[in-house]
Amino acid sequence: MRSKGSDSAQSRETETPIQTKELSPVIEVNRTELSPDLRSAPSLGDDQVLLRTDHLTKRFPQVLANDNVSFSVRKGEIHCLLGENGAGKTTLAEMLYGVYKPDAGSIYLKGRRIALTSPRDAIAHGIGMVHQHFVLVPPFTVLENIFIGTRSRGLLANMTQAAEKVRALCQDYGIEIDLNAQVWQLCVGEQQWVEILKALYSGVELLILDEPTAALTPQETDKLFAILRKMRADGLSIIFITHKLREVMEVSDRVTVLRKGRVVGTVNTADVTRTDLARMMVGREVVFQIAKESVAPGPPVLEVDDLRAYDDRGVEALRGISLTVHRHEILGLAGVSGNGQRELFDVLTGVRKPVSGRVLLEGEDITGKSPAYIASRGVASVPEDRIHQGLVMDFRVGENLILGLQRRSPFSKGSFLRRNEVRDFAEQLISRFDIATPSPDQTTAVLSGGNLQKVIMARELSQAPKCLIVSQPTRGLDVGATEYVRRQLLQQRDRGTAILLISEDLDEIFNLSTHIAVIFKGQIAGVLDAERATLEDVGMLMAGCEGTL
Amino acid sequence: MTATPNDSAVADSQVGDRSTRWRFEPRIGTSRWWQVASIFLALLAAFAVSSLLIASAGANVLEALQAMGRGAFGSWSAAAETLVQSTPLIFTGLAVTVAFRGRIWNIGAEGQFWAGAMAAHWVATNVTGLPAPIIIAVTIIAAFAAGMIWGGIAGLLKARYGASEIIVTVMLNFIILFTLSFLLSDAWQDPTSHFYQTAATPEASNFPRLLAKGRLHLGFALALVVAALVYVLLWMTTLGYEIRALGINPVAARYKGINVATTTILILAISGGIAALAGAGELAGLHHRLRLDISTGYGFTGIIIAMLGRLHPAGVLLAAIFFGALVNGALGMQISTGVPVALVQAIQGITLLFLLTADVLARYRLTRVRPDG
Repeated sequence: MRSKGSDSAQSRETETPIQTKELSPVIEVNRTELSPDLRSAPSLGDDQVLLRTDHLTKRFPQVLANDNVSFSVRKGEIHCLLGENGAGKTTLAEMLYGVYKPDAGSIYLKGRRIALTSPRDAIAHGIGMVHQHFVLVPPFTVLENIFIGTRSRGLLANMTQAAEKVRALCQDYGIEIDLNAQVWQLCVGEQQWVEILKALYSGVELLILDEPTAALTPQETDKLFAILRKMRADGLSIIFITHKLREVMEVSDRVTVLRKGRVVGTVNTADVTRTDLARMMVGREVVFQIAKESVAPGPPVLEVDDLRAYDDRGVEALRGISLTVHRHEILGLAGVSGNGQRELFDVLTGVRKPVSGRVLLEGEDITGKSPAYIASRGVASVPEDRIHQGLVMDFRVGENLILGLQRRSPFSKGSFLRRNEVRDFAEQLISRFDIATPSPDQTTAVLSGGNLQKVIMARELSQAPKCLIVSQPTRGLDVGATEYVRRQLLQQRDRGTAILLISEDLDEIFNLSTHIAVIFKGQIAGVLDAERATLEDVGMLMAGCEGTL
Repeated sequence: MTATPNDSAVADSQVGDRSTRWRFEPRIGTSRWWQVASIFLALLAAFAVSSLLIASAGANVLEALQAMGRGAFGSWSAAAETLVQSTPLIFTGLAVTVAFRGRIWNIGAEGQFWAGAMAAHWVATNVTGLPAPIIIAVTIIAAFAAGMIWGGIAGLLKARYGASEIIVTVMLNFIILFTLSFLLSDAWQDPTSHFYQTAATPEASNFPRLLAKGRLHLGFALALVVAALVYVLLWMTTLGYEIRALGINPVAARYKGINVATTTILILAISGGIAALAGAGELAGLHHRLRLDISTGYGFTGIIIAMLGRLHPAGVLLAAIFFGALVNGALGMQISTGVPVALVQAIQGITLLFLLTADVLARYRLTRVRPDG
């Protein structure tokens, strides 16, 4: 499926050339060009349209999350809501599910206007939603979770009847799951099936899925898509929220693209290419792949040998990790979240003490040393949770740019900070890394996600690290900032830095890595050469939850 | 009540039925103006409620407030006495400020006050035969050191064993207070007196007076210096930078290599040292002998002062002087209108309550949500 260079979708671009209308208002013009269907959409009979929104608007303090959003979902279609982070997809979905009340506009279901004041109303209307973060009760069994989630009338639970119905559903959709297993025992993919079963059990007509593939392996994703297609065949409608173009192309019938809270357009998936969608989503041309010339890796810089460590609950999270990162190398660490990535990051940066094993930096044993010491030896790090782990949000930008460096020269002398040096340094980094802030004295909290990440990158790269450990470096960033961060990483690699890239974004892993290591249940399941590895190879290594494949 | 899924961006607290719902929404980027305004609104509200208390005590509210104002600032000597009253509060307010800036809840300023007072007393009685300025300097240093130790114990227990500093500091308050009352009834008791108090300290150890008239003493000048030093510490030194980083985001502080254990101990030690200076000032500047009533809860009032002063030395200075004026003015009020001095404590408590409320309102706003329009 996945191939380097040009995707099948991209190659279609030549067949249907699209005039590149100027950047911003792609909206009206392109929409009509791209989809003849859209003009006819409003005139569709009520029997075809299941749900329609009319100029929905939702404003949060300082953000117009949804601005006159009008779109419609037909019966028996998979409709993608596509947009970057912050485009307003989730807000729109939560309005349809009764979590938020629109400030203006209305929602029509089967031609009748409905007012939703709570998710309960939505469920009563046959609208279900699977949230990004599942809403399950871990110590309850699968069956109990399905049952409580859909609380039918009557006080006494008729569990046998329920079990029969659920079993029938499982058979129908080819979902294999132990109904008597407790939810905490299931892997993320299986928990997703529970959420979907919950919705099916309650008899939804419209199911909203918010970024459902974020925590799935490629194989689990395929399986999910098969289930969705089956649901479509049964006449259900599905709203599928995503920012991944590949998924849109693969599974959807129609796409509504959102940008900055507005509808850019609704198109038939078959009529467009990936590039078209990207342009609609971002508002300009997008480079999918950063040219990655290969550089021959040099000698080893970071060597990890049989590392073991516990997580916060005292469960062994790292169970003998061994890996090596060389100069001029980006080692991508792929894996489904929760397989030990976080603990590995913590141990390597010194925040968590390992139980056994060794970490060598250019031959020096840095196992269990303090974060300050490890940093002083030339290990820089970009944490996954930039707001909590990487920055002091109420500090000024200038103060954040020296966080961790405050005791080094030239930023301090004796016990005193040197204000002018700090300021000069901050101004230098702000211009070099193009951080959008009026001055170093600006409070960090007001910066955008992309700029927050730039502050961290600037700080970490300013000390010319030998080794760089980055975790989810582009999570939640818009396309522009993502591109920027990735270019920086490649530049660092060319400089000679040894980079460990921990990421759940497989595109990112494939795009940047020299080698790909896959982590599964606290062990390295395999290391592949990025040039030769396929998505399937990596997916197989990432999987490991029995019963779902 | 309708339940909404947990992870909504809005702090969702709903009151009322379906037809009217209220929810708190965070204000983004609270302006400095609002923060200052909220303090004054809180004070205004506190005075309004206090007026009701005065009225209920059967006094004329306006008269009482006027008497209070006269008592606090009616003359040069009244103003000087206001500063005398505010001196210990400046110290304890600063002590709490340093701790709270590092997100360490030092509730032990009261105990640290006593550690300072006891150390000052010990030096004054035992170090003799030296020139007065040297004795005074040693007194101050010994008091600071005693406070550092008393606060540092809590810091050590927190850093080493994760013991809650709130509980430890509160317990240390009791320990030192009962130790002192034991000493006052035994080894340290003035043999010539029936009271639980020590003998008066030698003249040479007494803090000099700053004015020809009145009781304003060296302690006040020292408080001003310490306020300036606290500013320097917090905003001009690496330690202060680390204290603030730890206070705002302890996780990031740890990830970026700040030594949390050492910093925690230092914070409580410094905070304790500053609180101890209040004890030294009261002993060597005013009372010259240890008695159990030389603190009227200055350590606890320091918490209110620090909050009112928005954890900034300049704010603490203003807040402490304001509270000093309240105490001093209340004496005048009691004399001329009969409203008891204890009212001041009520005003202090009410002020803190309104201040905390104003804090919430400065950060959130209450908006009304209509379910269907």
